Amino acid sequence: MIKRCISILLAVVTVLSMTSCSIGKSGGKEQITLTIMGKKTDLAKSYMTDIFERYEKETGNKLDIVAYEDADYEAEAAARFAKGDVPDVFLHFHNADLNDFDVANNFYYLNNEAWVSDLTDSAREYCEDRDGNLLGLPFWESSVSGCYYNKTILDSLGLKPATKQAEFDVLCQALADAGYTPICWPGNGCSWMIQFGLDPVFADDPQILEKINKNEITYADIPEVTDMVQWVSDAAAKGWFGDDYMNTGWSEISPVLSSGEAVMTFIWDTWFYTDFEAENQYTVDDFALMPVFMNTVDGGTYEGGNLNMMMVNKNGAQVEAALDFLSFCATPENYNAAFDGISTVSCFKGQTTNIQSPMVTDAGDSIAANCRVSTAASRVIGYSADEVAAIFKDMFLGRVDAAGCVKRMDESRIATAGREGVDGF
Amino acid sequence: MELGEAWDMLMQQRQPVMVGATLSGSQDVIVFAVPVQHGSYGGFDYDAIAVCYTNMDLAASLNVDAFSGQGRCFVIHNDGRVLLSTQAGGNVFENYLVYLKAVSDLKEEELTQMQTDWQNGTAGLLQCDIGGVGHCILYQPVGYQDYFLLSVVPQNAVSAGFLSVQKTTMDVLFVIFLLLTAAMILMFIVRSHNQSRKSRMELQYRERMFDVLSNNVDDIFIMLNAENYQVDYISPNIERLLGLPVSEVRENIKALEKCALGRDIVIPKEELEAISVNDKKNWEYEYMHQTTGERRFYRMTAYCMSIQDVRKYIVMLSDRTQEKQMNQQLQEALTAARSANEAKSNFLSNMSHDIRTPMNAIVGFAMLLEKDADNADKVREYIGKITASSHHLLSLINDVLDMSKIESGKTSLNVDRFSLPELLEELSIILMPQAKAKGQSFRTYVQGAPPEQIVGDRLRLNQILLNLLSNAIKYTQDGGKIEFTVCELPTAAPQYVKLQFVVRDNGIGMSEEFQKHIFAPFSREISSVTNKVQGTGLGMAITKNLVDLMGGIIRVESAPGEGSTFTVELSFVLPEQEEEEAWYSQKVTRVLVADDEEDVCLDVKEMMRDTGVEVSCVTDGEAAVEMAVGAHERGEDYNVILLDWKMPGMNGVETARRIRDRVGEEVPILVLTSYDWSEIETEARQAGINAFMPKPFFVSTFWQTIKPLFIDYAETREIEVETPKSVMNGRRFLVAEDNELNAEILTEMLNIEGADSELAVNGKEAVEMFEKSEPGYYDMILMDVQMPVMNGYEATRQIRAGSHPGAKTIPIAAMTANTFAEDVRDAMDAGMDGHLAKPIDMDAVRELVGRLLSQADRNKAEVIAAEGGNGG
Repeated sequence: MIKRCISILLAVVTVLSMTSCSIGKSGGKEQITLTIMGKKTDLAKSYMTDIFERYEKETGNKLDIVAYEDADYEAEAAARFAKGDVPDVFLHFHNADLNDFDVANNFYYLNNEAWVSDLTDSAREYCEDRDGNLLGLPFWESSVSGCYYNKTILDSLGLKPATKQAEFDVLCQALADAGYTPICWPGNGCSWMIQFGLDPVFADDPQILEKINKNEITYADIPEVTDMVQWVSDAAAKGWFGDDYMNTGWSEISPVLSSGEAVMTFIWDTWFYTDFEAENQYTVDDFALMPVFMNTVDGGTYEGGNLNMMMVNKNGAQVEAALDFLSFCATPENYNAAFDGISTVSCFKGQTTNIQSPMVTDAGDSIAANCRVSTAASRVIGYSADEVAAIFKDMFLGRVDAAGCVKRMDESRIATAGREGVDGF
Repeated sequence: MELGEAWDMLMQQRQPVMVGATLSGSQDVIVFAVPVQHGSYGGFDYDAIAVCYTNMDLAASLNVDAFSGQGRCFVIHNDGRVLLSTQAGGNVFENYLVYLKAVSDLKEEELTQMQTDWQNGTAGLLQCDIGGVGHCILYQPVGYQDYFLLSVVPQNAVSAGFLSVQKTTMDVLFVIFLLLTAAMILMFIVRSHNQSRKSRMELQYRERMFDVLSNNVDDIFIMLNAENYQVDYISPNIERLLGLPVSEVRENIKALEKCALGRDIVIPKEELEAISVNDKKNWEYEYMHQTTGERRFYRMTAYCMSIQDVRKYIVMLSDRTQEKQMNQQLQEALTAARSANEAKSNFLSNMSHDIRTPMNAIVGFAMLLEKDADNADKVREYIGKITASSHHLLSLINDVLDMSKIESGKTSLNVDRFSLPELLEELSIILMPQAKAKGQSFRTYVQGAPPEQIVGDRLRLNQILLNLLSNAIKYTQDGGKIEFTVCELPTAAPQYVKLQFVVRDNGIGMSEEFQKHIFAPFSREISSVTNKVQGTGLGMAITKNLVDLMGGIIRVESAPGEGSTFTVELSFVLPEQEEEEAWYSQKVTRVLVADDEEDVCLDVKEMMRDTGVEVSCVTDGEAAVEMAVGAHERGEDYNVILLDWKMPGMNGVETARRIRDRVGEEVPILVLTSYDWSEIETEARQAGINAFMPKPFFVSTFWQTIKPLFIDYAETREIEVETPKSVMNGRRFLVAEDNELNAEILTEMLNIEGADSELAVNGKEAVEMFEKSEPGYYDMILMDVQMPVMNGYEATRQIRAGSHPGAKTIPIAAMTANTFAEDVRDAMDAGMDGHLAKPIDMDAVRELVGRLLSQADRNKAEVIAAEGGNGG
């Protein structure tokens, strides 16, 4: 599926590269070429390629897709921004890395766009900054992140999913005793997993979030953060992540799970429909959902959708055209066509063609009780998922212990906030 | 708790029951129930006794400490389903048999044997490898339905022999545990029931006793739990004392805050928490009764106690209203005493300063005088300064004494009938020279037609107006303007008249701040201008007090640099109307008035309206000449022509001269002026002016002025023309004075004025000298009051009562250091005509003597004229 998408994308890029100027005449109407920048894998999502094709076909305009390898995206994009080369439309998740792109000065606040009222409350909340300004159009798969486990394996072992941290630990050990890798932990870039554990810390107590964002406290002052880091460290030491987790990256998750080598991982449901390839023994039907347990909250936690946003360059020459493009994407017939059959939670109130995964449906009660909005990554000032992943990697490699890991997380966070000129840092 | 149908069925069969269930709050429990004989407890019927354990507690009980927690116990059904696990926090094993099959290295036959044992309820022991680690598996039926106790312990944690002992021990312990637990539960229930009942009754009794006690005192008692601030106890009298329902406070102690005035927090947690055990802390708040609105002060005392290791606060609210009020009164009394003391200190301080200042000048210049006695110019200069300082010192003493009298409440009013025009004329005479000396314009206006005769304290009114006007002159720059206006205000009572006196100047004015305390004693605004003006700072305070004494009001409007306006409003009684002799009715029917101020003309017209006299007005001299000549040529001469002195173009004197040239000498011409006419008197009389009339115009003054002209025009004119300039020149005074020094000063002064004087050393001698004198020998008597042998009052009374022809008419003036109004009144009552304050001021002597002698001369002229008329 990914290969197909990349082929389409390359075709589009090839066509666009033949266009010599951004504005030309097409059938008597002025033809516009908009530049869209994003990660290669993000832009290759089926619903993204679908909407791009649909736009070009229906408007006669062209899209210049600028795609970077996922690992290089932040650095490459930041370099282009630094040179003043800002695309008309920029794709980015609402996380701390977005702060590197001078949001206030580069992007258009979309509060007054006609389609805003069609956004679901949770999608809108995710896309707003701390002052309530809507930063982008959430045209993305909205999923529920949690601990997805192979229920077939658990059943075969006479085991049941955990409802508490202690049970989860027993479960991990029981799986390990049974010869399985309990958790597929991509030690080579576990950028998204840490935030799941941290969400309850900041979402459940806004005062902690406020204090850390005013630099009144550090991670080290929050016992739960140290508990979490220690738990991850211990889990790795006990073999719960398997033997080869340091060589496990994004692309290895699918084969490890489908083969049954690993039983659980912390991921989101849409991943099973866009990235999981059931090449081996197990398919998506073998999986079910329970909360993530990372020793920060006894009952575990789920994280609400993390959304890729389309943001408009407010200083560009084609602001109106870019806004028109977003309006095109936010038109019900267009987004329903793009997300037809995609398993995702709705971002738009008028979204009718998407489907919801049975895993999410089955875990409905548990999700209702334990789900939290993505908080650590998007609300903690200075939080950088990539830097946190790098620090954890050092811990796995024995370069720092758990306390040192927390210390470096603090240093990274404070340095990032300081660079951004945040008051108090 | 939902236990299912099986439970009911087993109970009906009177079988023991063990069942798993979930309590609300998702706590997993196991219920053990044993049927017993039917019984009743506290109204509750029962057929079985059940014990309910949370899985967590049971798991803890089953945990095998001997294996350092490495062992794991399960209660499982004989098909492998896990009912209970010792795993702390929960269980993830659904079926341990399945798990063992999947993860252990047990052979098929071993697994089959184990399953058979479980089906048969047989105990057993196995060894196997799980996850690469050797484990011992021990299973033992619990003797209860089909459940087994399954223990899984790593081999390295236990030896096989020990496991055997452990197995037996566990069996025994388990059974004993269950039995003992059930027995203890039953005993505990019964004992705790009895004990709690007894405790409850005892507690209720104590509470009742305390309620009765606290209900009858005015102190409120509250007991708080320090951990959560729950109210453990509150005395019921809170409802009576604060109007707060007990239930409301019991529910939330913050209910007290409704009553506390000016406090958001009544129970300050931080301060309470700072109190050590067995220590206390006090606060004082004002509370308002929620029903009656009554405000009372309460002292809140919080004691910190430790009761059964639980920290408690006992808060007592005691009514301290009476004590607070008493303290407040004491505080006020103290403040008043301090204020009085401060006022006294201020007074002494001010007086010390104000008296020493002129005294310093007097002493200093006296010394300089001695040194420069040979230098005539210096002597004159020093004497002038000594005189000025002396006058200032004198006025200060007068003011202080006056103020002292006013403040002590000993001042009384001397109410009598008096003439308003005369009062205004006197003021004009006194103040005009002062204004003239500074080149100021001083004008008096009378608006409307106020009554000329009123009843009131003439002296006090004079004092008030003199104060205001002299201040206006003092604090107005050279060449400034002072206006004095008198008008009548409407009043509802016909027997009263309300007069408004307005003194307006364009002087230095006053700041708004100073105006607030202008009437306070010793108040003087500090500025570069006022510092050059002498004053005691008591004048306005005296004025205000006098106005208050007379039941009037005084107000001031002023701005720095823009002048000041003082307004005094006073009510006076109207005297009974006296029938006046309308001597003029045939002689005066037409009057011509010339004044450049049209308002003056209108005022004259208004005032003359009721007299029937026709008043014609013109506003310049030329018109006046024209009118007078025209009337003359028509044979309709005006009876009187009234000319303003200072008119633009042709002045009053010149106008009179021209009228005389054209009309002749017959028509009396008067000059109406607010200025001192002495300097033009000679010129005016040569121009044909018959008499002078002071402004403002009053009808009575007018008649009084023209009466001699009409009765015997020529003779009167002769008398007036011959009137000497110095009224004392050539006069003879009888001076009664016991003090030799004072007598010498006075006689010397009179001598300077060209007058003769004869001295009597006491009252008796004065009486005798007067009695023995020829009629007209003495022109006036100056009488000291305090003298040996006979005082001045008595001497005056005897003179007036005597048979001497001049006994009733000779002017007698008191000379005394007693300067209060009462002293003046006493002098008048004794028959004196005037009052001179010591030390003697020659200006005052000249003014009084001049007035009294002029009056005497006028009386004499009238007598002569009357005698002549009667004779004619």
